[in-house]
Amino acid sequence: MPPYLLKRILYAIPFLWLVASVIFLLSRLLPGSFAEARILEEKQGYYSKGSQSTRQAVYQDYLHKTRQDLPLFYFSLSPALPQGVLLEADKLQAERLLWKYGDKEAVHPYLESLPHLEQELRLSPQDDAAEHLETLHKSLDKEKMLLAATAIYREATTKEAQKAAEQVVLGLQAMQPQPAYSFLLPTFTWHGAQNQYHQWLFQTLKGDLGVSYRSSRPVGELLWEAISNTFWLLLSSMLIVFFLALELSMCLVQGKGKYLRRFLFPSFFVLDSIPAFVLALLLLVLFANPSFLQLFPVFGMGYYAAENLPPFARAGQWLQYMALPLLCLVLANLPYITNQVYTAVQSARQADYARTARAKGLSERAVIRTHVLRNALLPVITLVSDVLPALVAGSVIIETIFAIPGVGRLLVESVLARDYPVLLAIVLLTVLVRLVAYFMADVTYRWADPRLKHRTA
Amino acid sequence: MRQIWQKLKVLGRGKLAFSAAMAYLLCLLVLISILPWLPLPYAPNYLDLSHTLQPPFSANAAGAEEGFHLLGTDALGRDVLSNMLYGARTAFFVSLPVMLLSTLLGLLVGMSAGYFAGKGVSLNRGKFLVLCLSFLLFAFYAVYLPAKAWRLGLGDDVIFYSLGTFLLFTVLLYTLFFSLFRRIRTLKKKVVFPVDELVLKVIEVLSSIPRFVLILLLAALFPPSVVLLSAILVFTLWTETARLARAEMLRTRQLSYFEAAHSLGLTNWQLLYRQALPNIVGPILVSFTFGLGSLLTLESTLSFLNIGVPTTFVSWGRLIAGIKTNTSAWWLVLFPGAMLTATVLALYTTSYYLTSAFTQHKD
Repeated sequence: MPPYLLKRILYAIPFLWLVASVIFLLSRLLPGSFAEARILEEKQGYYSKGSQSTRQAVYQDYLHKTRQDLPLFYFSLSPALPQGVLLEADKLQAERLLWKYGDKEAVHPYLESLPHLEQELRLSPQDDAAEHLETLHKSLDKEKMLLAATAIYREATTKEAQKAAEQVVLGLQAMQPQPAYSFLLPTFTWHGAQNQYHQWLFQTLKGDLGVSYRSSRPVGELLWEAISNTFWLLLSSMLIVFFLALELSMCLVQGKGKYLRRFLFPSFFVLDSIPAFVLALLLLVLFANPSFLQLFPVFGMGYYAAENLPPFARAGQWLQYMALPLLCLVLANLPYITNQVYTAVQSARQADYARTARAKGLSERAVIRTHVLRNALLPVITLVSDVLPALVAGSVIIETIFAIPGVGRLLVESVLARDYPVLLAIVLLTVLVRLVAYFMADVTYRWADPRLKHRTA
Repeated sequence: MRQIWQKLKVLGRGKLAFSAAMAYLLCLLVLISILPWLPLPYAPNYLDLSHTLQPPFSANAAGAEEGFHLLGTDALGRDVLSNMLYGARTAFFVSLPVMLLSTLLGLLVGMSAGYFAGKGVSLNRGKFLVLCLSFLLFAFYAVYLPAKAWRLGLGDDVIFYSLGTFLLFTVLLYTLFFSLFRRIRTLKKKVVFPVDELVLKVIEVLSSIPRFVLILLLAALFPPSVVLLSAILVFTLWTETARLARAEMLRTRQLSYFEAAHSLGLTNWQLLYRQALPNIVGPILVSFTFGLGSLLTLESTLSFLNIGVPTTFVSWGRLIAGIKTNTSAWWLVLFPGAMLTATVLALYTTSYYLTSAFTQHKD
C-alpha cells in the first residue's frame, strides 16, 4: 500500500472515534430518552395498562439491562449517585440532597435505605404513609423529613417495616448541612472502567453496534437489510445520472449544441429550484393516482410477488415499482451534476492540446471523445466521491415518500423515535463511506492523470 | 455599499428576469408582513370539520356563510389558502434570521481565518496560559454550575454566586499573572496560535457528515422546537459562508490597496472591517440569496417529515404532508408546492444575476 494511503487511514481513525464519541455522549447527556417516553408515559404504548409502580419497575429493569444505570464517563465533577436511584425525579431529588448535604458518605446511607422502606410499606400498607413518603421524596428540609420518617416508624405495623424506617431515620440524622458556598468547589469523582462510555466504546470496537431501542434487533442486521433493499436503486440512478450528464455535456459543448443549450439550461434551472419532495409528490399525483393516470404502483417494493418467478420477470416487477423513484432521483440530481460536468468539459476543450488536436484535422467529435474527456475526468471523480456518501444516507425524502425501506427511511424513523444506536450506526457508516470514497478518488486521480504519480504526496 | 446599490440598479434596468424576481420577492415580503391584517376568512389552524378535503374552486365549498375555501381544504378542514400564506410567513420568519445569523458567523470566522492564514495569531505564553485557564473557569462556573442549578431548581442566588465567583477568579488570575509576566522570562516567549488550521479542521469535521444527515441527527437529540431547530440550522450552515469568506479574504489580502493599508500601520480590526469587508460583501450577498433559497427548501422538507418542529407549527411542509392521507388531493401539493418553487426560483435567479454582476467586476 502506498504511504499516502496509509497516512490517510491513520488520520481517519481518531476522526471516526471523535465523531462517534461526541454523538454518543450528547445522546446520553441530553434529557428525555426513548425508553422514558415509551415506558413511563401513561397514555400510550404497550405498558400503559400497568400501574405506576410496575411501569417504574420495568423502566428500572430496562435501564439496568442496557447499562444505563452506570455513570456516563470516566469521571464526574459531582458526587456519584447510589446504584439503585434510576427514575428521573428520584435522581433530581438525590442530586439536590447531595448538593445540600455534601459528599456521598453523608447522603448515601439515607438514599439507599429509602427504597427498602418503600418496599416494606408496599407489603404492609399504612394509612398516612403515602403523604410521609411524598415529604421524603420532595422536601430538602432535614427536620421535616425526620418528622415524616419518625411518623412512619411509630405507625409501622410489622417489625421489618419498623426496622427499615429506623434505618431511614438514622440515615437522615447522619446528614449534616454543608457550608453554604461549598458547591463552588468541584468534587472530583473517579468511576474507573465501570461507566457507560467505556462499555460502549469497547463493545463498538469488538464490532457490536448494539441493539435498536425501537425493535430490539441488532443494529448491524437492520442496516444491512436497509442497504440491500435500496443499493441497486441508488446505484443505478447514479449511473444513469452520470451517463446522461457526460453525454449531455458532450453534446452541449459542440457547435450544434447551441439550441439545446438555450432550451436545457433554463429548464435545469427551474428543475433545480423544485424541492425534491414536491417533485416526488407531483410525480406520484400524476402517474400513480386513480384520478389521473394510474401507470405505476404507488408504494413499496412489491412484497406480495410470487416467489418462483423467472429472473427477468422479477426484474420487470422490480422495475415497475422502482420506475417513479428512479425517475425522481435522476431528475433531482441531473441539473447540478450536468452543470458541473459541463463546466469541466468546457474548460478542458479550450486547453492547448485540444486546439492542437483540432488543428491536425480531427473532427470535433473525435477531439472530445479521445482528448478532452479524459482530462475532464478529474473534476468528475471529485464529484463522484462527493456524491457517494449521500448515496448511503440515501435519498431520505424519496424513500420516505415512496415507502422504500432503505437507509434514508430508517434514518427518518430512528430520528422520530430517538433510536440512538441506529442513528449512530448510520452516521458512522456515512462517514466511513466518505473516507473510502476519498481513498478511491485518490487512486482514480492517479489513473486518470499519470502526472500525479510522480509527484510526492 | 453604494457600489452594490448601483449594480442592483443596472441589473434591474437591463435584465427582465432579474426585475421580475425582485418584484415577486418584494410583493411576497410586503404580503407576509401585512398578513395578520388581511381579511382572510379562516385562521390557518382553524378546523372546519364540516368541510374536509374540499377541492379548490368548487361550488359546494361555498357552503358556510362565514367564508369560502378558495383553494380547498385538507383532511382536517384547514383552509389551504390561509395555510399557504401563513406558511410563507413562517418560512421567511424562520429562514431570514437563521440565514442572517449564519452568514454573520461565517463571515466573522472565515475572514479571521483568511486574515491570519499562514501567520497565525501570536500570543506570549503567559497570555495563552491565562486564556486557557479562564476558559476552564468559564466552563465550570459559568456553564456547568448554573446549568446544574437551573436543572435542579435551586434558585437564582446559586447561579448568581457561581457567576460572581467566575468573575472574581478571572480578575484574580489576570492581576496575578500580569504581575508575574515581568519576572518570569519563559512566559514571555511567543506561541503561535494557528487560527486558520483550527477553523479549517472544524469545517472539515462538520462537513464530513452530509448536511441533511447532520441536521436530522441533531434534531433527534433535541426536543422539537422552532428556536432549537433554528440554532441547529445556524450551527450547520455557517461553514459554507466561512469557506467563501476565507477564500475571498485570501484574495483580498494580496491586492495592492490592502497591502498599502497594511503598511500604513492600521490595526487588525481596521484592516478587517474598514478595508477588507466592503470588498467581500458582494460574493457574500450572492451566497446569502442562494443560501436563503436552499434554506427555504430545507425548512419545508423538515416540516414535511415532521422533524424538529412542533405539530402546531404552520408551514408549507405540513400542508403538503396532508397528501399522505389522501393521494388524490392534488391541490394540497400543487398550490403550496408552486409557491415554494416560485420563491426558491426567484431567489436563485437573483443570486444568478448577482453572481454575473460581481464576476464581471473582477475581470
